[in-house]
Amino acid sequence: MSAISVRNLVKKFGSLTAVDGISFDVEKGEIFGFLGPNGAGKTTTINILVTLMRPTSGEAYVAGYNVVEEPVKVRERIGIVFQDPSVDRNLTGWENLYIHGLVYGLRGEELRRRVEESLEFAELTKFKDVEVKNYSGGMIRRLEIARGLMHKPEILFLDEPTIGLDPQTRAKIWEYVEKLRDEEGVTVFLTTHYIEEAERLCDRVAIIDHGRIVAMGSPDELKQGIGKDVIYVRVGDNSSAARLLEGLNKGMLVSYKELNGVLALSVSNASKAIPTVFEVASRMGIRIEEIKYTQPSLSDVFLHYTGREMRDEEADWREVIRMRHRMR
Amino acid sequence: MNERNIIYAMLYRQLRRYFRAKSRVLGTIINPLMFFLFLGMGFSASMRGISAAIGVDYLAFLAPGIAVMTTFTASFIGGISVIWDREFGFLKEVLVAPASRTYAILGRALGDSVTSVLQTFLIMILIYAIVPSLKVGGMLFALGTCFITSLMFNSLGIAIASKMRSPEGFQLIANVLIFPLIFLSGAFYPIENLPAVVKPIFYINPLTYSVDLTRYFMVGISSLPVHLDLTVLLLLTAIFTFLSARTFNRTTLD
Repeated sequence: MSAISVRNLVKKFGSLTAVDGISFDVEKGEIFGFLGPNGAGKTTTINILVTLMRPTSGEAYVAGYNVVEEPVKVRERIGIVFQDPSVDRNLTGWENLYIHGLVYGLRGEELRRRVEESLEFAELTKFKDVEVKNYSGGMIRRLEIARGLMHKPEILFLDEPTIGLDPQTRAKIWEYVEKLRDEEGVTVFLTTHYIEEAERLCDRVAIIDHGRIVAMGSPDELKQGIGKDVIYVRVGDNSSAARLLEGLNKGMLVSYKELNGVLALSVSNASKAIPTVFEVASRMGIRIEEIKYTQPSLSDVFLHYTGREMRDEEADWREVIRMRHRMR
Repeated sequence: MNERNIIYAMLYRQLRRYFRAKSRVLGTIINPLMFFLFLGMGFSASMRGISAAIGVDYLAFLAPGIAVMTTFTASFIGGISVIWDREFGFLKEVLVAPASRTYAILGRALGDSVTSVLQTFLIMILIYAIVPSLKVGGMLFALGTCFITSLMFNSLGIAIASKMRSPEGFQLIANVLIFPLIFLSGAFYPIENLPAVVKPIFYINPLTYSVDLTRYFMVGISSLPVHLDLTVLLLLTAIFTFLSARTFNRTTLD
């Protein structure tokens, strides 16, 4: 049984279709990511999966339970870290965790122990009696992740877990999430609009745009799916380029292009092909002036499937607003 | 079992928040105290006939009105925290919890009521010190009446706030509601001598019954039968609590 199973999910807000018939499965113990720009329908999907919104049509099962028919069963088995903070800013870190534990049915010694453990996990033990409004964005994030895990959920939902955080905190949170999967076997469903977050963290990624999944697979599969590494070789003039091309074994080239003394060679593995290119060139007495190669990134994958760049400008603007909101 | 947990969790939260905001505690006491001193002393000093007409000293007459006013304002305004929770995100934490929302909102109303009654208690101590003729034995029952009043109006506040999106909107409703309800409740003057045309307005005001019952316990006089007061209060509290639970249960993020 899959941890999450979604079939033809649709969510409309009036005339706007936020989620447009998506289907996917998340296996137990994997980190599955939704990658897409803001407004692609990521948060709406999460809100449906965590039972906070009702789908317009389609079905979603989380931990084996239908999210519309048995929301409480679903809620018992999941932990959530929302995009925007959902802690009580006027309470301390300890108090926030204590209340969370109570709400999830813990009590007595067990509850107190779990609170301390969670504080330790979030590395906030020192700040447990400080009101959350005095925490930094990264501290709040850590507190929320620890809180989402406190009741030992089967599935953890992370909506843009590192939005607006500095690189160090971001790296730390990635480590947390990997540790969770490796040590606790927690299934993680996350959304992100950061390419590197999806590449680094996710076992599988679904690229989502305008409420539809345009591609799905492991980051490597997705990258291989759109093409190969490209080696650019500058040899100075067109005739040398043509001679070098002749000398190369056509079997190792997926495709090639030649322009103004630069050869663009598509190969399946650039790191293996580059020595061969050097070897052939030196044997034929052709001087290589410059050589470089590029690997496709998930950014290219996004471009390939949507015909657009995954622009971050709008996101940055939103983040500023969000940070202000957080600082209040 | 989890029901008890969620009630306790929400009660704990409201109390923690309350005691952390010390300035708020002071602020909510000053207002009714000023009413009591300026209105009460002014009237009882300059209108000698008023005490004779009522049958008791005017300050004693006013005391329960001020107590109920404190309770009512604090508890009704307390509903606004539902909107702040939406603004600051904590609402989502409650909405995704695998616990009964009815009990969550009940715990919250209980927490707000405890704090409202605490405030009322502080005011009462001051009032009892100023007006020695008040019945000390009735204080506990008066506080009990205030507790029911608080549950009733906090639930109403929550029901209204759950439907609102902005704190300003709720503040507007509160401003429009609070003063007419207080003035038309018999808190400041007896309703017996009013013209018959006006009286129905007082009778449809839930606060009238709170003031009357509290006055019965604190002073020993009442305009209406005590059992009627109590029945109306309990009935309305049940209705408003149900209403707030229903509204909150239907809350989604849509």
